[in-house]
Amino acid sequence: MSIVIKEKGISGPGTDSREIIAALSPAFGTLIKKNITDIDLGDILKEIAAGIEEEGMKCRFIKVYDSTDLAVIAAAGSSLSGSGISVALQSRGTTVIHQKGRVPLDNLELFPQSPLYSLEIFRKIGKNAAKYGRGENPEPVEILNDYMVPSKYLIKSTLMHFKEGEAMDRERKPVDLEVEF
Amino acid sequence: MVKLDADKDYPLFEKHPEYIRTFTGKSLDDISIDNIKSGMLTADDCRISPETLELQAQIQESFGNPQVAMNFRRAAEMTAIPDERILEIYNAMRPGISTKKELLEIADELEREYSAKMNAQLIREAAEVYEKRDMLRRKND
Amino acid sequence: MKRSKRFEKLEKMPINQDGFAYEWEEAGLVAMDSPYDPLPGVKVENGVIVEMDGIRREDFDSLDRYIADYGIDAAAAEASMAIDSLEIAKMLVDINVPREEIVRICCGCTPAKLVEIVRHLNVVEIMMAQMKMRTRKTPANQAHATNLDDNPVLIAADAAEEAARGFAELETTCALARYAPFNAMALMIGAQAGRAGVLNQCSMEEATELALGMRGFTSYAETLSVYGTETVLIDGGDTAYSKAFLASAYASRGIKIRYTSGTGSEVLMGNAERKSMLYLEARCLLLTRACGVQGVQNGSINAIPLVAAVPDGFRAIAAENLMASMLNIEVASGNDTAFTHSDFRRGAKLMMQFMPGTDYVTSGYGGIPNFDNVFAGSNQDCDDYDDWYTLQRDMRVDGGIHPITEEEALAVRSRAAKAMQAVFSGLGLPEISDEEVEAAAYAYSYKDMPARNKAKDMKAAENMMERGITAIDIIKILFESGFEDIAENVMNLLKQRVTGDYLHTASFLDENFKVHSAVNDRNDYMGPGTGYRLSGERWEKLKEKTNALRPQDI
Repeated sequence: MSIVIKEKGISGPGTDSREIIAALSPAFGTLIKKNITDIDLGDILKEIAAGIEEEGMKCRFIKVYDSTDLAVIAAAGSSLSGSGISVALQSRGTTVIHQKGRVPLDNLELFPQSPLYSLEIFRKIGKNAAKYGRGENPEPVEILNDYMVPSKYLIKSTLMHFKEGEAMDRERKPVDLEVEF
Repeated sequence: MVKLDADKDYPLFEKHPEYIRTFTGKSLDDISIDNIKSGMLTADDCRISPETLELQAQIQESFGNPQVAMNFRRAAEMTAIPDERILEIYNAMRPGISTKKELLEIADELEREYSAKMNAQLIREAAEVYEKRDMLRRKND
Repeated sequence: MKRSKRFEKLEKMPINQDGFAYEWEEAGLVAMDSPYDPLPGVKVENGVIVEMDGIRREDFDSLDRYIADYGIDAAAAEASMAIDSLEIAKMLVDINVPREEIVRICCGCTPAKLVEIVRHLNVVEIMMAQMKMRTRKTPANQAHATNLDDNPVLIAADAAEEAARGFAELETTCALARYAPFNAMALMIGAQAGRAGVLNQCSMEEATELALGMRGFTSYAETLSVYGTETVLIDGGDTAYSKAFLASAYASRGIKIRYTSGTGSEVLMGNAERKSMLYLEARCLLLTRACGVQGVQNGSINAIPLVAAVPDGFRAIAAENLMASMLNIEVASGNDTAFTHSDFRRGAKLMMQFMPGTDYVTSGYGGIPNFDNVFAGSNQDCDDYDDWYTLQRDMRVDGGIHPITEEEALAVRSRAAKAMQAVFSGLGLPEISDEEVEAAAYAYSYKDMPARNKAKDMKAAENMMERGITAIDIIKILFESGFEDIAENVMNLLKQRVTGDYLHTASFLDENFKVHSAVNDRNDYMGPGTGYRLSGERWEKLKEKTNALRPQDI
């Protein structure tokens, strides 16, 4: 992986209103280092962080251990985020932008078809998350759709989800991460 | 009153329109374009009443689905609960959201404010099962 | 190795782009028979089930308990369980045994027993049993209307065309969740412009979906997911009790619902507890019955690429549809997800529900191009209409829809788009231009539509909900802007919600708002000459084919 991730202490609520949280799934960067189409997970995080910073906001990375469900991870992230906005990522690449106060399965933008997203898209996701964090109402990132994705990738994605399950720990609270690019 | 029968009395719209009153006591004929145009008809006027749900429950009972009848009867109780409160209670019943005490308070409220006995019973049972199966909110959260 | 030209060609066939896997029991990746599936068994004491499929009451999880207390008819349980499963399997295909008798027996069966029964059946027997066991005599069908841009004008036009083609239910969803109020409203207006009485839903997160229903923007709901293990049910954000409460909440507002389940979903969510997909689905179906929900959408749904990847997958899917019918539950039988690159294979899959008929043959025919389908593509899309119609004609089978002319399609599409324009204007929402109305009438997909400002649309949608706009406001505007018929249709839907007739098992409304359900249109199949027979006007309609020759054409 192109980056080094170190775990710090248990994540507390953010106090900086310029903060966007990037919340990662249990196996992200540990048991799994590449997404479903073999994009390096470090490169994905670089783009997310760069997108957020380009819009003048700050990115705090956290790891959520107690669920493999993207919606739950996202809600955990936004509840801790200083701006109330989180970007949540599963190792396979499925991504969502979530806002504090919405129920977990509701969201601002969802990117459900992980095999379709290039690094460029992840940068745009970061930028839009930052814009929501600033209280703006940005034009959403373009929607991509390929209806043959599940028939090609569903088995691989299920196996990757099992890995997330192995890394899950229902008793463990979210932790802050130190990410060295 | 004689219980309704699936073969004889269904559908109510054709067989017994006179039995039907809306939540606010209006008849089916009161739901008209004229009344909508003149602002005489509100969204509440177009809601199903507990009495109608009871009639439909009887039809499902005679059709052989006692569970569906039970659902309609729980629904009849719920007609009195405002939309917002229903959404809140539903969210409170989701796993890991409420403490046992909070659930029992909701059950009491349903019984007290809305005479919703079956729903209160459902929530009390949920509270008991959630405790046993670790589905309540964790203490420190 | 020198390659065989035939093998080289075969490798490149569409079927070989699909994913396949062998069974993996530890992960639950097994269709209908895992060595870890429990053996059927029940013990009843004082009218209470104290043991079910080898688990004692004190060890029940929340799902076991809810099923045992409410899903299984305890009074019938011991008698039902005492009948040999093979005997019940034979009854299912015996034309002399009435459907009602089998339903009575099955309602006393445990999940493991239901699975043991259907394991005795091969696919043709499953289809025979399905023909006899579906709850409603007349088959119906459902369509998806979505587009990648969430363009509400296009949704309305597509809904109108689908309604005109005969779909009895329409479903939409959003690429962007905040569009939900617009999409729901567009689908309702479009549906009522296409054919009076068509039911409509907007598949969203549970609480949002309920809120849309309460406003009168939808007339039924389907995306109430249940799962066959406690862990996955909880991961999905629900319990048996919260789902039961939600079911009653819908009924309390006069809104029809069905649950969504389906083989493979627990594997996808990573917690199948080593059980077969079909066993877990049997638990979902008994949970559905326990909650008093009239119907289910099953047949693997979005997990179908996984179920179809393992041996016995299609058979398991047909068997789960059948199990719903055996429990007197309406079945909307899948065929709503793209799962294969092979046209041969997707056609064969469809036949297992198409030929016997189910309450809703698909729970989402894509009446739009698959690339515009936000449910990630259906098994059939708008390019397949003539294939579907031809198969109905070839086999004399009613798949629930009928041919229409291009003129008819254009007329209803255009009118739906104009009605949307009027409603948007009346509600003070971002303008729908004449150019958009024109484009929507003739469009193939979102690519033919002028782009809208999505951020502005979504803000306006949110604002519309905050203003407390309901179906009443929409009816008023429709009537005042010259769409009296659509206004009246939307109003008649509200009347149905007040009456509650369509809350019953397997309902649909015809163009006169007359309800057809399992209660008044009972499936009375008892062999040749009985049950639903395609004849008369309906058959004449399904024979229509614009490019078929008549003697006078020569």
